[in-house]
Amino acid sequence: MVAVESELTTIAAPPGGDAIPLALRRRGGTPRQVFVLTLVGTLLLALFASADLSSWLDRMGDGPVLVPLQNVATEWDGAMQRLNLTRPAAALRAAMHRLLDAEW
Amino acid sequence: MLFPTSGFLLFFLVVAAVMAALETRFATKKAVLVAASYYFYAQWDWRFCFLLAFSTGVSYVVGRLIGAARRRDRRRLFLATGVTLHLGVLGVFKYLDFFVLSANRLAQLLGLSHELPFFELLLPVGISFFTFHGISYITDVYRGDVKVCRDPLDMALYMSFFPQLVAGPIVRAAYFLPQLARPSAEPIPLAPAMLLILGGLFKKVVVANYLATGLVDPVFAAPTSYGGPDLLLAVYGYAVQIYCDFSAYSDIAIGLAALLGFRFPPNFNQPYRAERLREFWRRWHISLSSWLRDYLYKPLGGNRRGRLKTYRNLLVTMLLGGLWHGAAWKFVAWGALHGGGLAIERLLEPLIGRRAQTPAARVIATIVVFHLVCLAWIFFRAEDFVVARLYIEGLAGGWRDGVQQAGPAMVALILVGMAGQFTPPALFERAAAALGRLPVWGLGATSGVAVAAIDALGPAGVAPFIYFRF
Repeated sequence: MVAVESELTTIAAPPGGDAIPLALRRRGGTPRQVFVLTLVGTLLLALFASADLSSWLDRMGDGPVLVPLQNVATEWDGAMQRLNLTRPAAALRAAMHRLLDAEW
Repeated sequence: MLFPTSGFLLFFLVVAAVMAALETRFATKKAVLVAASYYFYAQWDWRFCFLLAFSTGVSYVVGRLIGAARRRDRRRLFLATGVTLHLGVLGVFKYLDFFVLSANRLAQLLGLSHELPFFELLLPVGISFFTFHGISYITDVYRGDVKVCRDPLDMALYMSFFPQLVAGPIVRAAYFLPQLARPSAEPIPLAPAMLLILGGLFKKVVVANYLATGLVDPVFAAPTSYGGPDLLLAVYGYAVQIYCDFSAYSDIAIGLAALLGFRFPPNFNQPYRAERLREFWRRWHISLSSWLRDYLYKPLGGNRRGRLKTYRNLLVTMLLGGLWHGAAWKFVAWGALHGGGLAIERLLEPLIGRRAQTPAARVIATIVVFHLVCLAWIFFRAEDFVVARLYIEGLAGGWRDGVQQAGPAMVALILVGMAGQFTPPALFERAAAALGRLPVWGLGATSGVAVAAIDALGPAGVAPFIYFRF
């Protein structure tokens, strides 16, 4: 079977090439750095958009594991509010609503 | 599980952690990615996983059979069987009720009282995409454009890889499978990948979602309630919305794949700056238009069998391309408008040339092509032909009323979306280079703050991507 399977020496180039140009792919990181990047991003999001975590867990329904998690998320959101970390998001949201409400 | 949600972020965090822990164990990484992809797909409906596994099995077995067959007629038979099986699955799950509805309407017209019952099957999300993946693989094996895939794990990952599973881009086997042969020696392009993901999130969460809820949906729901200015701005709004929605998905998919160490082809390239309809299709949903060109238009004869057959082939390709988008005649009409437009453009080529020559002619050509595309979008977006007709009638006649729905914010979003069509490509490269100078934790922190800002700017909740239903 192997003998008759077609072997290619070159691989067809995709239409349009790569989405990320070669020049931008010369520098970069490792899978560990991807994890660090994602983890730091998630932590920052948990600080500044804590309400999202709480509402996402609330939408998942009830359950022996979920209810304690939901309580923790609600307390976390409350703590972030007390620290005023949710204020920038609230200010952006209010500005966007003002823009949406504007009329000609 | 939608990309712009906390659930997906945590899912990706786990995947990234496992990828980091596995370091150089490439085969295990591939197995983990297959498992993660099936978990991701099961979030819609776990039963769909069996369909995905079936399509994967068909592609794998047929690919091996074609590769092993010595005689051309047997290779052809295996290819035909594989394509039939793939199209059969697509036909049953996506088009069965459409055929029943069309048959019942025809029976009504002929005065027959009997009606066929509907099957009401659930449409598996992404079925059109993984079916096209499977067809392109076995066709490429038949043509000798790709090596036969001998590793079932590679085939499973090619068919199910979660960044592109539900809405593309349609990545060719000849492009993706070699990436599974050995781990990439390239570094992971962290900054460009994050820039694509952040840009995609902004386009989807802010631009597309607000345009949908604030302008497009209400105007298309009752076009007779609005005057010409609102109707015109709503169709411009839809042009921007569908671009920002779909290209956002593609950008996020490309960025996620890059973070996992894989390369994807581009899927969009500022389509609304096209000066010809043909150019529009080289810039819009590039992976689909090139798929249709290579697996439908060219096998039909392409432009090699005379003018009339070229026009016919263009029309047939675009009609079927329209039908691929959805099981409804309005999508066929959308395809017919594009196919007819492409044919007329070819017919007029001796008069208008392949490209506009002067700057003024280029501007005029871009405006004309954009409005032709917008006309076709009316059929694509309208609920049915009646709504599309009312919409076009309103555009043609109702210009006495002022603007009711399209406020300054909606116009600003349309302008933002259109401005993105004309930014120089170097801007992305410069921004990526600037982000790339940050340390990894700085890039992560910047991304986290940017996502929080996008989330705050967007409306509550996330609407599904438009192309999920295709």
